Amino acid sequence: MTTRIESVFSEVLGVPVDKINDSTSPENTSEWDSLQAMNLVVALEEAFDIKLSTKEIVSMRSVGLVRKVLRTKGIADV
Amino acid sequence: MSSEAAQPGTPPMDPKRARALWREWTANMETGAATPALRIGIAATFTANPLVPYLGGHLLEAGVQPAIQLGPYHQLFQVCLDHRSHFPGGVDVIVLLWRIEDLMTEEVSAFLHGDPEALGRALGRLSSFGQAVAALRSAFAGTIIVNLPPFPSTLPAHALELSNPGNLGAFHRTITSALVEQLSRIEGVRLLDLDALQRHHGVAGSFDARQWYLYHQPFSDRFLFETGALLGRMIATLRRAPRKCIVLDCDNTLWGGVVGEDGVGGLQIGEDFPGWAYRDFQKLLLRWRQQGILLAIASKNNEADVWEVFEKHSGMALKREHISAWQINWEPKAENIPKIAKALNIGTDSLVFIDDNPMEIDYMRAARPEVHSVLMPEEPADILPAMRVLAAFDRLEITKEDRGRAEMMRAEQQREAALSHLSKEDFLRDLALTVELFPAPPEELDRIAQLINKTNQFNLSTIRRSVDEVRVLAAAPLHRVYGLRVADKFGDYGLTGVAIIERSPAKQRWTIDTLLLSCRVLGRQVETAFLAGLAADALEDGAHELFASFVPSAKNAPAASFLPDHGFTVAEGHAWRAALTSIPPGPPYINLLRPHCETISA
Repeated sequence: MTTRIESVFSEVLGVPVDKINDSTSPENTSEWDSLQAMNLVVALEEAFDIKLSTKEIVSMRSVGLVRKVLRTKGIADV
Repeated sequence: MSSEAAQPGTPPMDPKRARALWREWTANMETGAATPALRIGIAATFTANPLVPYLGGHLLEAGVQPAIQLGPYHQLFQVCLDHRSHFPGGVDVIVLLWRIEDLMTEEVSAFLHGDPEALGRALGRLSSFGQAVAALRSAFAGTIIVNLPPFPSTLPAHALELSNPGNLGAFHRTITSALVEQLSRIEGVRLLDLDALQRHHGVAGSFDARQWYLYHQPFSDRFLFETGALLGRMIATLRRAPRKCIVLDCDNTLWGGVVGEDGVGGLQIGEDFPGWAYRDFQKLLLRWRQQGILLAIASKNNEADVWEVFEKHSGMALKREHISAWQINWEPKAENIPKIAKALNIGTDSLVFIDDNPMEIDYMRAARPEVHSVLMPEEPADILPAMRVLAAFDRLEITKEDRGRAEMMRAEQQREAALSHLSKEDFLRDLALTVELFPAPPEELDRIAQLINKTNQFNLSTIRRSVDEVRVLAAAPLHRVYGLRVADKFGDYGLTGVAIIERSPAKQRWTIDTLLLSCRVLGRQVETAFLAGLAADALEDGAHELFASFVPSAKNAPAASFLPDHGFTVAEGHAWRAALTSIPPGPPYINLLRPHCETISA
């Protein structure tokens, strides 16, 4: 079952959704470069109607860590 | 902002769709399944990466398939002075993007601290930038685009400071107008007005402080998306023939109400609401007409009723003499539209159709997809805001021929009236045609490129070129770029013919790369005089023979028999050749002038 967060990553990075899991990170996913990091921030804010702080953005070094940030913002269903 | 190429049924452009289009296209380029038609290099004083998919997406939607390279971060001067090493493989367009905060960091900071000489130093810095752009111009043949700077957004100062109102504003205005003044002296540099774009979207909404501090990327996603749209529109316009004529419905389009039911007195047009909304639309039409767009009418009405409104209603800004062609009857508009195009001697693909009836619009889109059909808003207050942003009439230069086009069409109608009384031979003699052939001077190259890009019918090779490419040929030793000016007793048609010649190194052979005539001057044997003039030049140059190609296109049938009719025989493939001695002389009733022939040699 695909989560919303995985759909956003798949859409922005252009990577099939089944290749995306909590351990997906810039280190193991060449598509997640610094340009896409900028696009991910925009897409996550749009998809979840939130505003991320710079500190949160810097901490988001894997899909699991992004999920953690979203949970702290009260978004359970990610 | 509407893109002209957007077809009904395609989803509206948004950032997500632009990114998806761009990703799909770049994947195809990487696998070799697609080849770019246009190469663009971007150099910026800030991180411009997120702009790339937005520019790319908008261009793809407009039918231009680009490759986009980013130059190194904050190295505008280096790129200007050595574009080849920064854009390996070469590019057709170079875009230079800069901000006041990045290019004159020290100067603007000192200015805010009250240094009275800071603005002068900033102008000095700007002038160095102008010199770098001039250096790029002389080394790079393609299109150069430079932005007008947006209002500074990353300084320790704010536009709305109460203590010193207008301070930063004065700096920004001074720098902006100095830039316009400097770049206008460099040929063929286009201005991307990010200042106006930012005014449209708001300074606050154009800035994203988080992206700035994290990535040195100062702009909001929305502003980058709109920048991509505007830049894409500019670049697409450089490669596209502009629309030439608007075909208008009358009832509830030119005025409020239905003349057949409400009568002339019952129509809404004039000084009061809602009539003055329609009047403002008419004023917009008149401004377009002044820029060379022809106005025509396709209306289901009694013709006499429509002209009665034009002649008797005091609220009309449009007059009957502004209308270049009309079909006012009860036939389907899709059948009337080709008649209008024919009367104006233009293709139906250069028409824009405006109507308030969604069924007419749908029907036209289905029957005549090449016509750009636009639905008139029902809400009168929406008319002007919706219509003035139509991208269909985008053009980057308005030439004097454009401005005069509507007037020339009126003279054409008089010429045709004269023709109906005479035999064709008598008519041509009576016209007192003068044809002037001359090597194109720099100030005519915009007009020449415009003809190269829009002439479809009498065009031997239909090779399209940007003005920058034409400029290079005009300066090349073995090439000649010619313009042709035509006039007769009814008036001046202006610059209406272009030829590009390539001479063989020993000059014994001239090859006609491009030969075209505007359809406005066809049917008068001007082409025979044109060729005779070129042959005379070739002879003086020491040449013996002419080569030319006829490359058939969907529309250039009118030029198909030109070469065999004028002494050429088939050489091979599309190529034809003729000895200079077999080229026929110009017609006796055309006065051929070659004012340059004593002044050029070698």
